[in-house]
Amino acid sequence: MKFKDKLKSDKFLITAELFPPKGTDISVFLKRAACLTGLDAVNVTDNQRASMRVGSLAMCKLLLEMNIEPVLQLASRDKNRIALQSELLSAAVLGIENVLIISGDHPNAGEYAGTKTVYDLDTIQLIKTARLLETGVDLAGKKLSGSPKFCVGAVVNPSAEPHELQALMFEKKVNAGAEFFQTQTIFNTAQYKLFLEKINHSGVKVLPGVTLIKSPKFMQFLQKLPGVNIPQEVQDRINGACDPLAEGMRICSETIRELRSFSDGVHIMAIGMEEYIPEIIKNSL
Amino acid sequence: MIITTKKNQEEVLNNLKGRQTVFIVGCGSCASKCGTGDEKAVAEIKEFLEKNGKKVLGSVILDSACDMRLAKKDLVKISDFQDASAVIMLSCGAGGQSVEKISGKDIVSALDSKYVGSTERIGVHRQFCSICGTCILSETEGICPRTRCAKGLLNGPCGSFVNGKCETDQTKDCAWVLIYEKLKKNNKLDKFLKQYIQPKKQSEV
Ligand code: SF4
Ligand code: SF4
Repeated sequence: MKFKDKLKSDKFLITAELFPPKGTDISVFLKRAACLTGLDAVNVTDNQRASMRVGSLAMCKLLLEMNIEPVLQLASRDKNRIALQSELLSAAVLGIENVLIISGDHPNAGEYAGTKTVYDLDTIQLIKTARLLETGVDLAGKKLSGSPKFCVGAVVNPSAEPHELQALMFEKKVNAGAEFFQTQTIFNTAQYKLFLEKINHSGVKVLPGVTLIKSPKFMQFLQKLPGVNIPQEVQDRINGACDPLAEGMRICSETIRELRSFSDGVHIMAIGMEEYIPEIIKNSL
Repeated sequence: MIITTKKNQEEVLNNLKGRQTVFIVGCGSCASKCGTGDEKAVAEIKEFLEKNGKKVLGSVILDSACDMRLAKKDLVKISDFQDASAVIMLSCGAGGQSVEKISGKDIVSALDSKYVGSTERIGVHRQFCSICGTCILSETEGICPRTRCAKGLLNGPCGSFVNGKCETDQTKDCAWVLIYEKLKKNNKLDKFLKQYIQPKKQSEV
């Protein structure tokens, strides 16, 4: 069953994400991908944190060849509306149906500070653009010879305050045509449940992001990211563990187990530790 | 007004390269208000250039360097201006190019043009408008997301604001949180939900 169809089922959906390599050596990427064949879909990031990497499109194509259903992440940060639409058509031609529309981290925080940012379209405009292309015309009003079909996703941040503003944005993205959501990382399932209760999510699936904390050092890095709030209890567990990776995996499995009782699914961000995802999932049952 | 800042003096000297005789043009409008193109700024760069072996033939402060008619009227008759091998401009880039256009002289800019700023108090300016050509302030509660949102998002925020501040700079308010708060105060959240601002059209560029 395709991811798009699974969105209409009651299945607890599990997705994960992979970073494209920085350079042309794809061996590590392929090794990590091979651990994810059982998942419902796998995202490939688009120059995440405004770093420069192989394009998401190329790596999505490689996933398809491995029978993994890819989700192309498409950031509006680096491309104008010509390049964005062209990328969407390219994805469709290669058989990539799932696209996750994001604005993309601002380069100011990354290794390319000072580069020209584009943001020609915002996320709402880009979601609508993907939907427009499906009708056989482009933003210039020109007819397409052959129109694409997409499964369009977007992101929402359940921890960003004011929550109400995120909830309104969620609704705007649904109205613009988003079919599924993946969220920024959450650590507190009770808080996430409260957020879910506040938004009108009927008809769309929301997969909350869960991050594998692999070490105390990585936890420090995470905490510096905007909007990431790691509960004290989780911090204590990681800092006090003699095997922090094993503890991080346990926390992940527990979180997913809790999510299974009320969530549409989960989006696992293992950041280089994808080989442990199958075990995390097994222990969440 | 156009906010300008002084370039590093060494950079100006370096840009003069081999040219020995210079004429200094200040601007009585924005650059004077910024303290970058007034009498004091002219005297300061003059002193520096002379200390470094340059011959300053003269100087003038134009009312508005960006008004080509005035620049032409005031400058062409000055023989020291005509004789100088380079013109040091203490104005924004529009002023520098206006003087270039009416005279064809070699221009060396001594200021950096930053943005169109609103003055909050003396010396403190805020960037509120980026002169986009199609103002949407009436749709966004008088707060410009094109300029004040780091990503220029027109239909709502990204997911990275923290405590009302922008992901890119914890000292800057997230424009969309400001807009949201105003909408909420005025009971207009429904307007936000329903409103869709189109991508800028070609004819509007
Ligand atoms: S929308 Fe913003 S940038 Fe454009 S004219 Fe209005 S205030 Fe200026
Ligand atoms: S945090 Fe707010 S101001 Fe900053 S980029 Fe996101 S929406 Fe724009």
